[in-house]
Amino acid sequence: MIELSHVSKRFGEETAVDDISLRVAKGKFCALVGTSGCGKSTTLRMINRLIEHSEGDILLDGQAIEVYDPVKLRRRIGYVIQHTGLFPHWSVARNIGLVPRLLKWSAADVQTRVEELMDLLGLPVGEFAHKYPHQLSGGQAQRVGVARALAADPDILLMDEPFGALDPITREKLQDELAKLQARLHKTVVFVTHDMDEALKLADHLVVMREGRIVQQGTPLALLQHPSDPFVESMLGGLERGLKQAALTRVKDHMTSMGPTLPAQSRIPSDFSLRQALSMMLRDHSDRLTVVDQHDVPIGELSLRRIIKEAQLDKGSARE
Amino acid sequence: MSLLDALPTPRLRWGRLHPNIVLVSLSLIMLAAFWLLDVVSMAPNRIVLGTGHSALEAFGWPGALLATLLIATVGIFACQPSQRHYRALLATIVLLMALMPVGLIASSYLLIDPELPQARLGLGAAYWVVLFVLLLCLIEIRLRLNLTRLWPTLLLSGVALLWWLCATFWLDSLALVQEFKARDQQFVRAIGQHIRLVGIAVSISVVMGLSLAMLMRRYERLQKGAFAVLNFLQTIPSLALFGLLLAPLAWLAANVPFLDRIGVSGIGTTPALIALVAYSLLPMVRNTYTALEEVSPDTLEAAKGMGMRAGQRFWQVRLPLALPVLLEGVRITTVQAIGLTAVAALIGAGGLGTFIFQGLGQAAMDMVLLGALPILMLALMVDAGLGALAEALRPGGIR
Repeated sequence: MIELSHVSKRFGEETAVDDISLRVAKGKFCALVGTSGCGKSTTLRMINRLIEHSEGDILLDGQAIEVYDPVKLRRRIGYVIQHTGLFPHWSVARNIGLVPRLLKWSAADVQTRVEELMDLLGLPVGEFAHKYPHQLSGGQAQRVGVARALAADPDILLMDEPFGALDPITREKLQDELAKLQARLHKTVVFVTHDMDEALKLADHLVVMREGRIVQQGTPLALLQHPSDPFVESMLGGLERGLKQAALTRVKDHMTSMGPTLPAQSRIPSDFSLRQALSMMLRDHSDRLTVVDQHDVPIGELSLRRIIKEAQLDKGSARE
Repeated sequence: MSLLDALPTPRLRWGRLHPNIVLVSLSLIMLAAFWLLDVVSMAPNRIVLGTGHSALEAFGWPGALLATLLIATVGIFACQPSQRHYRALLATIVLLMALMPVGLIASSYLLIDPELPQARLGLGAAYWVVLFVLLLCLIEIRLRLNLTRLWPTLLLSGVALLWWLCATFWLDSLALVQEFKARDQQFVRAIGQHIRLVGIAVSISVVMGLSLAMLMRRYERLQKGAFAVLNFLQTIPSLALFGLLLAPLAWLAANVPFLDRIGVSGIGTTPALIALVAYSLLPMVRNTYTALEEVSPDTLEAAKGMGMRAGQRFWQVRLPLALPVLLEGVRITTVQAIGLTAVAALIGAGGLGTFIFQGLGQAAMDMVLLGALPILMLALMVDAGLGALAEALRPGGIR
């Protein structure tokens, strides 16, 4: 568990982070979102003491971080940065094995762990272990970056705009993989990004920052339903907000059992989002979809009327 | 070499031909030099000025024709370049270099009167021009074939070995060989002294340069001051610096018995080493500093964030990443020191410069060459060796 209470950071006269309080429960994914220079990166880097905070308390599992030796603290916390920060003079395998080696694991243990992680991140050992970072594509390099951060199996993972430099397709793929990974590993993650869609997609807890302060925090759905001010609303995409909210809702939560009506033509898997369902309706000129399970067996029906009626879109945004 | 590397080769079109204009011109220059300039000179003894001889006189018709043919081949292959032709060109050029001492053996039979035991053969202008142009051809071909520095270095070492064998066994009449034979003990000692002076000076400046660069990274104010001093040192003419050191060092040796006992004196090795180190520091410090500063901040940030201690970050990340540029500094420093050490002979530090200045004094150019050529060879060898090492140290070919 990570807890920040009334934390501030001043650089000389300038206040980079101003009195923020924040709690990330064990195994939860927290995203810090904001425009550049809002203090989100500084906040992240205070957690592994790359930057020392000026005021307030930062607690890891109830223990103030000042108690730990910064170096030992960092070895317990996975860290991923935007431009991967891979060591260009080390092979992929050596890069991944860094923290275990720092922790003086035996060579055999390090190798086993490296191969395990390469497996986990979809990097075939035979093909990649001996490559150098400059021989990798951006997506592959960032997979190695994530593998390196996970190497010593830390409870906490800090990610500083890890997918910011990737092309949209690769970015989306890595986001999906990270979501799957998190569902398996349940790390306590703090994730910095300026991409709201990325944050909405991945986070359990969303923190919007501006000029060193937290403007609003809560679950993605709560923020979408009740943005506290115009800034948060514009960050959430203004008019697009309805669709973004639909993207967070699964089809299976809104379907009805098959009625006496004619079976709708188009089929949609039950774990797709309402946003995808809406898009399919627009594409197929139809206001009804047949919901199917993973074996393509019809299990229900979804109608446009029902989405609009029950999708909990709050009245404020519906009027816009 | 780096400047030449940067120049693009202009490409012309003559009908269906796309000649490599650089190699064609170089081949024409060689042909002109070969036929218009003196190939060798012959002197009946050491004092008399030699008389020049053309290619025909030196090699006879068959030799001159063979050489012309080979040089022309270079131009012809260069008219329609391809990977295969470049490899053929490489072979032709190595063959030409290997034949150069053989040509000298031929001309020593043709020109030297066996009645004159003092007669000696000197290398003419054509020899030097052709040799120089062949080296230029080699650089061009290395770039076209995309070879590393290692290959040309190996080839040239083979050629040099061949020359050495020819000179030792069949070229007694070559003036250079005669100068060498007259003082072979002295030569071996001088080359040893030269290498030792350079080695010690470079070792000291590597250690000092590294420490100074690291201090400069810590204390920003030192950085400006130190660069100013080092830049200033670099502008003092070497001879003047030796002169400036003479008086204070002599005084120190006279007044501090300990320094006298370890060999400090106004002339000789001590002032030579001090001056060499003073000149070596600037390139060394500048390259070391830049090398260490250029390491990507992202990489270092990651190293810190992963939990590497300051020492681990320096030795495992910063230094290895800086090493290629740092070695470049060692290379520049060493090549420069090899040249400067020649001047140190003037203050009695010994080394190959001794022959240069003695030869100048006696107007014996071949003796000057006896000092200058090995200095050139040493510099080229160090240049190639350290260059190849820096290339090899780039893992997976980064940068």
